[in-house]
Amino acid sequence: MPLMETYRQTKADWKRFLEALMKGRELIAPVKRDLVRFERVKDIEDIHLKSMSYFPAKHWFFPEEQTLFRFSKKGFEMPKQKEPRRVFFGLRKCDLNAIKHQDMVFIKQAKDPYYKALRKKSLLLGYHCRTAPSPFCFCESLGLPDFFDLLYYERKDHFVVEVGSAKGKALVKKYGRWFHAEKGLTPEQRRIKNADTLEETDIGRFYDHPGWKEGVNLCLSCGACTALCPTCYCHSIHDEVTVADPGSGERKRQWSSCQLQGFTKVAGGHVFRKDRESRFKHRIYHQLEWFREKNKVPLCTGCGRCIQGCPTRIDWVSMINRMKDDEHRT
Amino acid sequence: MTNTGHSQEENPLQPRPYRVREYYRETPDTFTLTIDMAVDHDPGQFVQVSLPGIGESPISICSDSRKFIKLNIREVGRVTRELAGLRKGDTVFLRGPYGKGYPMEQLRGNDLIIVGGGCGIAPLKGTIDYIENHREAYGEVNLFIGYRSPKDIIFSRELEEWQQKYHLHVMVDQNPAGEFCYDGRTGFVTEAIREKVQDNRNKVVFICGPPVMMRAVIGILQEKGFNDDQIFVSAERLMFCAIGVCCHCMIKGKFTCIDGPVFRYDQIKEDEQE
Amino acid sequence: MSRAKNPGKPRQPKKLRVGIYGITGCAGCQLSIIFNEDDILDLLDLVDLQAFPFIKEVNADQHFDWVIVEGLVASEQDLATVKKLRRNAKYLVSLGACAATGCVPAYRQFTLKENYEHLLYRKQKRLKDVEPTPIDAHVKVDYYIPGCPPDKKEILGFFTAIARGIEPRGTDNPVCVECRKNGNACLLDQGKPCLGPITAGGCHAVCINGGLECWGCRGPTKDMNLNLMIDILRKKGFDDRFIRDRMRTFAGLKLPTLNRIFHGKG
Repeated sequence: MPLMETYRQTKADWKRFLEALMKGRELIAPVKRDLVRFERVKDIEDIHLKSMSYFPAKHWFFPEEQTLFRFSKKGFEMPKQKEPRRVFFGLRKCDLNAIKHQDMVFIKQAKDPYYKALRKKSLLLGYHCRTAPSPFCFCESLGLPDFFDLLYYERKDHFVVEVGSAKGKALVKKYGRWFHAEKGLTPEQRRIKNADTLEETDIGRFYDHPGWKEGVNLCLSCGACTALCPTCYCHSIHDEVTVADPGSGERKRQWSSCQLQGFTKVAGGHVFRKDRESRFKHRIYHQLEWFREKNKVPLCTGCGRCIQGCPTRIDWVSMINRMKDDEHRT
Repeated sequence: MTNTGHSQEENPLQPRPYRVREYYRETPDTFTLTIDMAVDHDPGQFVQVSLPGIGESPISICSDSRKFIKLNIREVGRVTRELAGLRKGDTVFLRGPYGKGYPMEQLRGNDLIIVGGGCGIAPLKGTIDYIENHREAYGEVNLFIGYRSPKDIIFSRELEEWQQKYHLHVMVDQNPAGEFCYDGRTGFVTEAIREKVQDNRNKVVFICGPPVMMRAVIGILQEKGFNDDQIFVSAERLMFCAIGVCCHCMIKGKFTCIDGPVFRYDQIKEDEQE
Repeated sequence: MSRAKNPGKPRQPKKLRVGIYGITGCAGCQLSIIFNEDDILDLLDLVDLQAFPFIKEVNADQHFDWVIVEGLVASEQDLATVKKLRRNAKYLVSLGACAATGCVPAYRQFTLKENYEHLLYRKQKRLKDVEPTPIDAHVKVDYYIPGCPPDKKEILGFFTAIARGIEPRGTDNPVCVECRKNGNACLLDQGKPCLGPITAGGCHAVCINGGLECWGCRGPTKDMNLNLMIDILRKKGFDDRFIRDRMRTFAGLKLPTLNRIFHGKG
């Protein structure tokens, strides 16, 4: 790991810093209500850092539903939208890497102007998990790099802040009065303790393993896992027309889910992944195996939200671990 | 708040208007549109065709010209049924071309066996037109074309021409007596292949058609000693974005829209059963 | 963009002749059409509303392109009406839960006749009842707009689609898909008997948004994992009788396997 610029910030200065950033920007941070979600925050006291958010921050960059074009009989026009500037606080390692992975998909590969517009105007301020914030998370097994503008390590009465980008550097420069010199952190200090372990990410050889059945039998194909996943990016595109003029309307994209039977249904009615098992495995293989074949990193960032949010708590991490154990036994 | 100010030129999802040059009814449920889209493309590539308020549909290009594209379309879904209403002079919205087509450059010097079933002949017609434009680059060309019945014969205008230039074998699965004047063979296209194809020497095969037909043809070719890397197949999947992000068309990690729709059989063999 | 001219079918459309009828039911589904206050006038421009006895005095009863029927078949008169409408329409649409699944009124099929007969049917001699059944038990249904009540925007979508001569877009995704998009907490996790995972969505998870669990009014999805759903509810402490009754409330007739699963218990 390269030596990072490191600073110390008192908690009072942290508050001042965020308040300063909120001038001209929306602050998005985890807030605890019935569940923890990333929401617009008006009062910094509302920020909740004790546990991990149940929902990821994904929808702030890749909304559940988004207008791509307004159309009339004359053609398709991209809506002229003014995206707000935003500062995110409280993103954890899994959230940050998920944003990085979605950047690969939407910016690098697809050159998607909608995603890019939302991303470009965002500052990513991370929050380091000293110990695993959820019993389901396993990020340390995935060997993810650090990715952030600023990363906050909470100490008793202050924060240690690492700088991870030019944007972050510019912030420190501008608000230097609230940042004080501090010595760099050791890899041990950066570690996240007590996270669950996924013992194998290279799962190609397990595709036909009978061990998947356990999960398939517990699967409702409800799509909770993909909706709660910070990286899942599958979507559909549909046209919606107005009643006053059915020739005009909006072309929209909505989140979709590979777990649904209709996901592979072509005109004429044929469904390519009709059985639950192939759909169940599709998500996990896309996350761990297939995305890596193209992009060198797994798509999954180990947040465990798909397990936490599953109505039957399908623990596919343990399932893969058992497949790996079996292998050693025989 | 500032304006993001991205121009429409940068948006890969932006459909643009083109003019329909010709509408031709091929069969009761298929038609061919010629569209004023002057674009470089490979045979086997496809475009996304839009109608405002109806939606978008991927259609493979069935011509080989830099001045226009031809699209052979079967009426099966919302978009394709609406496209059937287009006539000369109308506007249609397109983006593309997309995907990997047939690697015609790399295959120079080979004999070509082209096997099409039903509307699966559409993308193959692109390769036939390409061969016509580069005839000297390829050896013997055998066309095996199967239709369900005489009334389903698409490209009847072209068949006559192909008859003169290539070894053409047309089959219909069934010929309900007296319905049409048809003097060709009745039976499955596989029978003709079994008869006419002797060995795999210097040959490559392009197959496009219903999955059952493709599997049967591949079976016969394998019996005759063809290797999987001599066979190219064209896949069809549900698709929205065509640029590898919506994920609907993924076949075990491969995207039909950017890694396909044309795959060399050895690259997709294991996965195609999915 | 100015080059664009006349995409789509070159047609001077004749307005579709539409009829909207109700048989046994609460009329709530017909109200759902009317609840589209902001769009109702535009809607009436799209189609030629030949019949809507609920709000119109003069009504045609034949030569329909589309007929939309609310309610279930519960009397001989209902049956005659549905058959007649079917004969007189090119397409027949089932509107709402009663028409699609039989809904709550069809629950009568799961109770003993002695329990209800004396309440009404002995007093009303003129009422000739038949087994309460969804419309598709008697005539062919071309399209379903499910829900108790149906989503009013979905009704609008249906009309705009048919007016343009294209197939309306429904959904068979479970309610959970929309529920999670809405950022709701999972009610199953809170121990509530939510049927969202096996119920077709399209309702925008309106009940769960308001804190009420899904009772399955839009009917089961084709892909449902019914046995697992029952297992989940059992593990949460619900007894078989409760589970069976809950599942039968809105879609009992569309879940014939429940009988076998619960083995006549309760």
